[in-house]
Amino acid sequence: MKYLDIAIETALAQGAGYADIRIQRDTSQVIYLLNRSIKHSIYDVEHGYGIRVFKDGAWGFAHSNRFDDKAVMDTTRRACEIASLSSQVKKGAGLTLAPERSYIATYRTPVVTDPLDVSLREKVDLMLEVNRTMLNYDGIRQAVFYLIIHKSEKLFASTLGTRLDLTTQFIDPMITATAVYEGDSQSRTFDEGGRATGWEWIQSLDLTDKAKQIAEEALIKVKAETLGEERRRALILDPNHLGLTMHESVGHPTELDRVLGWEADFAGISFATPEKLGNYQYGSPIVNFMGDNTLAEGLATNAFDDDGVPAQKWYIIKDGILNEYGSTRDTAPQIGLTHSRGCNRATSYYNMPINRIPNLYLLPGTKPLTPAELIADTDDGVYIQGRGSFSIDQHRLNFQFGGDFFWEIKDGKLVRPLKKVLYKSCNPEFWNACDAVCDERFFRPFGVINCGKGQPGQTGKMTHGAAPARFRNIRVGGSQ
Amino acid sequence: MNAQQIMDYIKRHCQADDWTITINEKDSHETRFAQNAITQHIAGNNIEVALQVAFDDKTGVGNINQTDEESLQRLIGTAEKMAKLNQPDPEFMPSCPTAVLPAVDNCSETTLALSPQEMVEIVRRSISSGEKLDAQVSGMTEKHWFHVTQCTANGFFGEYDKTEFGHSITMKKDAVETKVAYSSKDYSRFDLNHWLDKLDSQFSSLSAPQVFEPGRIAVILRPAAAQEFFGYMAWMMSRRYADEGFTPYTDKLGTDLFGSNFSMKSTLKDDELCAPPFYHGGIPSGEIDWVKNGKLLALATDRFWAKKTDSQPSSMYNIFIPGEGTSEEDMMKIAGRGIIINHLWYIRSVDMKSGEFTGMTRDGVLYFEDGAIRRAVNNMRWNEIPHQATRRILASGIPALISPDVKVPAMLVNDFNFVDKTIF
Repeated sequence: MKYLDIAIETALAQGAGYADIRIQRDTSQVIYLLNRSIKHSIYDVEHGYGIRVFKDGAWGFAHSNRFDDKAVMDTTRRACEIASLSSQVKKGAGLTLAPERSYIATYRTPVVTDPLDVSLREKVDLMLEVNRTMLNYDGIRQAVFYLIIHKSEKLFASTLGTRLDLTTQFIDPMITATAVYEGDSQSRTFDEGGRATGWEWIQSLDLTDKAKQIAEEALIKVKAETLGEERRRALILDPNHLGLTMHESVGHPTELDRVLGWEADFAGISFATPEKLGNYQYGSPIVNFMGDNTLAEGLATNAFDDDGVPAQKWYIIKDGILNEYGSTRDTAPQIGLTHSRGCNRATSYYNMPINRIPNLYLLPGTKPLTPAELIADTDDGVYIQGRGSFSIDQHRLNFQFGGDFFWEIKDGKLVRPLKKVLYKSCNPEFWNACDAVCDERFFRPFGVINCGKGQPGQTGKMTHGAAPARFRNIRVGGSQ
Repeated sequence: MNAQQIMDYIKRHCQADDWTITINEKDSHETRFAQNAITQHIAGNNIEVALQVAFDDKTGVGNINQTDEESLQRLIGTAEKMAKLNQPDPEFMPSCPTAVLPAVDNCSETTLALSPQEMVEIVRRSISSGEKLDAQVSGMTEKHWFHVTQCTANGFFGEYDKTEFGHSITMKKDAVETKVAYSSKDYSRFDLNHWLDKLDSQFSSLSAPQVFEPGRIAVILRPAAAQEFFGYMAWMMSRRYADEGFTPYTDKLGTDLFGSNFSMKSTLKDDELCAPPFYHGGIPSGEIDWVKNGKLLALATDRFWAKKTDSQPSSMYNIFIPGEGTSEEDMMKIAGRGIIINHLWYIRSVDMKSGEFTGMTRDGVLYFEDGAIRRAVNNMRWNEIPHQATRRILASGIPALISPDVKVPAMLVNDFNFVDKTIF
């Protein structure tokens, strides 16, 4: 496309040390069904370009939705002017960029059936059937089905000579049943957090059967007892729940921009500072976390990030020790790294890319272990399924999590369902309390599509994963 | 095409029985800084055209950000096709009719005139202030212009402008970390020296934080913290959710659910607060008392639920919480001992039915005793039910603008429930 060349040539003529242009078209379909009423049925197309100029050790970024030669040149010049303004307020010689070579490549998320090609009628009929199934249960007062389908098409060019044509997409069905009983109200949700795949995934899920399960579990939950006083006991966490726990307590603390203090004013900083690399006991020796932007069906999986850096796979925590961060071309050199791990991603064309959590997962245990065996080996604990309340301090140390469905464990058995369970812990106590992880047969991926970060705010997406794992001696109790 | 031309084109070509056109235009400049240097710097404008159509009670919505004829034709075709393929909506509401809208003033010429160079100068002075203390300074300086236009097949037309200027500064050195922030429609009311002095004052008060064990104790929620605390409560105040049994507000309309010295409203009458002239696709904004002297008077209600329950549609389009004007010094005397909180952080619902939330303190926590600040202390986690906490309000200050849409006072709340501490 000629606009790629116009932007790059204009930036170079303006004296840019580096520049890139990302022409991005995001197409999304969002259908929100509340009970039997379609509250939203939206088809959204957002098309424009963002031009990033690096000049005199500082960034400038300008965006536009106007596609003509003059608009592209004007936007590029504006980015150059902004970079010059930025360079008035820099530290020393300013930022540097990690070296990278040029690439010419194409990538498409593998899909069998593009969800955007499936008719609205087929989608709505499925959703109505699911909601009807939940509402058929006495005591279920509300049924919600949220279906999000998203495709992002990017053309990227940089002054390094890189030319990329990248298309990624994901789909995310979320179903919630809410029960009301004797003055209380409790919900149960099916939400795998989205996958980078096609409609074939939806067809494989048997969502009507899932609807029966969550409706029944919402009714069990609303009638369940609370746990009572907080005390220390074992926790067994399912992969869906662990996806959120690791996102907050491992993913964000190991974003290098947070480590550097670049998010200090809003999202916060990180306790996992560079002097801890290679020596800090983040978790027990069985705790291994991979950053992996090559993961099949991963939401952060793409051939390249928005710096034009190829997708990679690396240890973030190895044998319990903090090993490396997720980094970008401008953050990596700040701690002496020679290359970026390819974690720079923007949400929309008008967003400047920022250091993001990669696909991040806890490696499964190496010895055969089933969830049933793990429960049978636990005398006194709580088994938590799904995601609930979550809150963590701005250094990513102290946290409190809830969940979506809870069972009390006594003498190796699930003895009663519970509601309103909370646990409190902190880094590094929590991951060092991990004493068992089930084996790879029980590994499951779970996505996050709404990771809020940055000013102005952006929503990132990435996939996490785990097999069920146990954490000893954690403070667990009921809410007020 | 401009907004008027876009609307005219859609009106001419849309075949649907009913339609609503919404056009959101935006122009922004954002300068972000950290580690005493500018790290991001962004400028650009955007337009979003949304078309909601209906054939009988079947609806579809399309959004685009391109305004050429071909794109608008595609928008109309997409929305109409979606509606035709959709199932009937049992909660369908026709678009709003003509309405008389109140006059609003959400726009500042001074904000519009602020140049990028002036914004960089604000950043430079903010960083210099921190460098004198050998501290790391981070934050963002931003200005925005918004224009909203909406019209419907049933005759509604409304539009308004809005400006926003914001400047936030976080200063950190060793264990001391604190923040100030200004956010308003009007740059002319911004006094950087005032905010730098305030930042210095907070920073110096927080040296050498000491360990403090969590438990129930009185707190002074400074205005930003009060906004964060009650803002989440306000988010849950939905008439439908109450009527369906999901929140603590079920069957509580008209009752003294809150403390008698707590009131909350949405208003067009405060010249600092922004207010849209309409909401819900064409309902004129007016004065709404949500809580008055402890009595729950209204809950946010969409048009369908208002029709079903024979009530008025309403929206919490801004938040004003009145105060009694008590100074922080007098609050410390009233409580005897307690904690002063600058900001709250990462607030999340713990249990929707009870209305319980959790969160952390942030950006500076102080312990006071015998009417005076004694020392800085560590951050703590709290679990609280805000509407119940209003029954423990002992005093309140003068309402302060926290954002263009929120104005609240500092609050002295007794027996605040801290449940955990962190190590900084």
